[in-house]
Amino acid sequence: MSFTPYTYFQCPCTESNLPTRRLGENASTEEEESDQDDRTFDPRAPRANYSLYPLEYLLYCEDCHQIRCPRCVLDEIVTWYCPNCLFEVPSSTVKSEGNRCTRSCFQCPICIAPLSVSSTEAPPEGLGAEHATQNGPYVLNCAYCAWSSKEIGIQFDKPNGIFAQLSKIQNGGKPIVTPRERRKDREERTRDTSGSTMNEDGVVEDLPGIMNLDPHELLDAESQFSNLKAFYQSQLADSSPASALGFTGEYGYGSPGALSRIMGLYTGGSFAEKKAKSKKGAMREAQDALEGLQITSPASEEKAVNRLLSEGWESTASAVQKKEQSYNTHFVSDLRPIAHLLRTKRSKRCRTCRHILSKPESKVQTTRFRIRLVALNYIPSISIKPLQPATLGRETFLTPMKPTQFLLTFKNPLFDNVKVNIATPASTPGRFSSKVTILCPQFEVGANTDAWEEALREGGGKGTEREKKRTKAEASEGQNQAEAGKIWERGRNWVSVVVEVLPASLKIEGPEFMRSEELKKDDGPLREDEDVVEIPVFVRVEWEADVAHDDTAGLTATSRDKEAKEKRELAYWCVLGVGKIIQD
Amino acid sequence: MSSKRQSMMPPPPKPPTSLSSTITIAEHASLIGTHLIAIGSNTVVHPRSKLNSTYASITIGNNCIISERSQIGLQGEPEGEERDGILIENGVVVEVGAVVEARHIGEGCVVEVNARIGKGAVLGKHCKIGPLCEIADGEVVPNFTVVFGNGMRRVDRSGIEDLKLKMVRRQVEILRKLIPSKPDKFQ
Repeated sequence: MSFTPYTYFQCPCTESNLPTRRLGENASTEEEESDQDDRTFDPRAPRANYSLYPLEYLLYCEDCHQIRCPRCVLDEIVTWYCPNCLFEVPSSTVKSEGNRCTRSCFQCPICIAPLSVSSTEAPPEGLGAEHATQNGPYVLNCAYCAWSSKEIGIQFDKPNGIFAQLSKIQNGGKPIVTPRERRKDREERTRDTSGSTMNEDGVVEDLPGIMNLDPHELLDAESQFSNLKAFYQSQLADSSPASALGFTGEYGYGSPGALSRIMGLYTGGSFAEKKAKSKKGAMREAQDALEGLQITSPASEEKAVNRLLSEGWESTASAVQKKEQSYNTHFVSDLRPIAHLLRTKRSKRCRTCRHILSKPESKVQTTRFRIRLVALNYIPSISIKPLQPATLGRETFLTPMKPTQFLLTFKNPLFDNVKVNIATPASTPGRFSSKVTILCPQFEVGANTDAWEEALREGGGKGTEREKKRTKAEASEGQNQAEAGKIWERGRNWVSVVVEVLPASLKIEGPEFMRSEELKKDDGPLREDEDVVEIPVFVRVEWEADVAHDDTAGLTATSRDKEAKEKRELAYWCVLGVGKIIQD
Repeated sequence: MSSKRQSMMPPPPKPPTSLSSTITIAEHASLIGTHLIAIGSNTVVHPRSKLNSTYASITIGNNCIISERSQIGLQGEPEGEERDGILIENGVVVEVGAVVEARHIGEGCVVEVNARIGKGAVLGKHCKIGPLCEIADGEVVPNFTVVFGNGMRRVDRSGIEDLKLKMVRRQVEILRKLIPSKPDKFQ
């Protein structure tokens, strides 16, 4: 198993000392606060997991001058779109129709590959074959597992609007009565039977607009839910007392009737209670399928079992396939195509100052960003590699008790020079602590100017200057000896320094002097990832920036009074995952 | 600019072939071996396809498409007695990079990109072996099976086999116009 060195940065959002007042413990909270500043960051602490991120994941707030991580930014949705057809869906449609694509985007229920619509007619031959449109019945086809909606008995009349057509057909071709149609039917019934009498079965004479629904119908889950919901709402409306303003109690706390109702509770007293009791009718339960009652018959279970026995294991749907379906399906022939879930484009805001950190364009096809304040453009990136190029095989492993040197390269993205200070505790936290020495804790990294700009500034001597730099670098490399206090190599906007690591031995039963305090207390076996050397490094970056001018810049450069330079600094913890120690 | 180095090895043996007159075989297709290679009518053999009859003969049916970098034929010494050759029926599409060592591939099969079919395997009619899928040595795959994903299988009951064969025939027609054929090199 190979190990790639990593650098994670800690977001300051987890360090915030939110004052939690606990009575009688005032003194201790103060101690804690000062402790936190001195306490080194322990990457092995369980909480550290939540605050460490690679640099590419972090954003930077220009107003607060702080790093922001994915956990401390506020998300706002810019657009909803279907990842399959890239159609932008307005948020009102999402609220009413749901968060799936309502056009023709479906996934195969067997293998979740995208389904394509094709005609069942034979392809036309002869001249102009490519331009002839086909209007046979249409089916959905999976290009990957060769499933077709014919296998569940569903065909379509039109090639567009598959979602609507699909909602009206069951597997096997029989039409579904959609909840919307049921609702209309219910409304028609109540309007019609408010005057006339009804049979006990609930069957009304044939009137236009009313469907002949079977009171013992086997409903699917959606229809049953809508029937039950409508039934209970009507029951509540009948049985709950009408408030002073004539509204039923159903409207909740926000209505004007609520205030008078609540006032009535306090002032009305016994009078209101009597009124309430007299009005209250008994609530009953649903009586038939029209109202949402479904009686399970043992026969339906037997049918399923017989089917299983005859068709075998292959005909049952797997757990993964069942999870994607909205209804409880047991068999593969009951699976229905899955509509694609809509995806969102989000903009991110800083939690404290509400400044927008990242804002994508609302047009779905463009992947650009209108605003993009990423940490990569503000804080120096760190990369690690071993100083001695490793031999094959033993590449990423560290030998215990053998000092190994690593090269840290700091790349500066800012347009100003930065001074970098790095510090690390002498031994890494954890049971097996390796000794770490930074050979050059303080250095300056050049500005990220263009190569051309630098060349123009140098003027005629540019060729010789660069050559001089190169030979100097080569000289230090030729020595192969890292000196304390000196940087290893310098480039236009980067500097590399050497860090020496003495990996700890992973022996749990070793001589007493070799064991750390923690190991003495806890001598269990080696746990996962305890053999990875993680070095917490505290980085402090200082630079002088131009004061931000909000009004007209650029052209008025000459008319600016002074070049106000503001000293800025940023400090954060990083964790360098350097390598894995071999067990000896 | 260095000129191409000539290989020191002797050229590979040219196999005895029985090629139909209507096939399209690219110049850079590679036919090597000692056993017979027979290719049926209307078949298209792309350049850089490797037909290796060193260990057993190869018979390819009509209207087949053998794509680039595919390897047809036993790649290694078969255990046991002398094997029967590879038989590929009509209308079979062998996609790019597939390795076919099977004994018998049924009509209308599609062997997708980078699939591997083991020695002595038997594929039924109109099967579809998905990309990067493997069929073990000696395995018998029933008709109309679709092998996909992580070892998943299902039986395809869509009933559009004739349509698929028609599409293959159309594809062959188009490929014939695109690939210049040089059957004489292999006669």
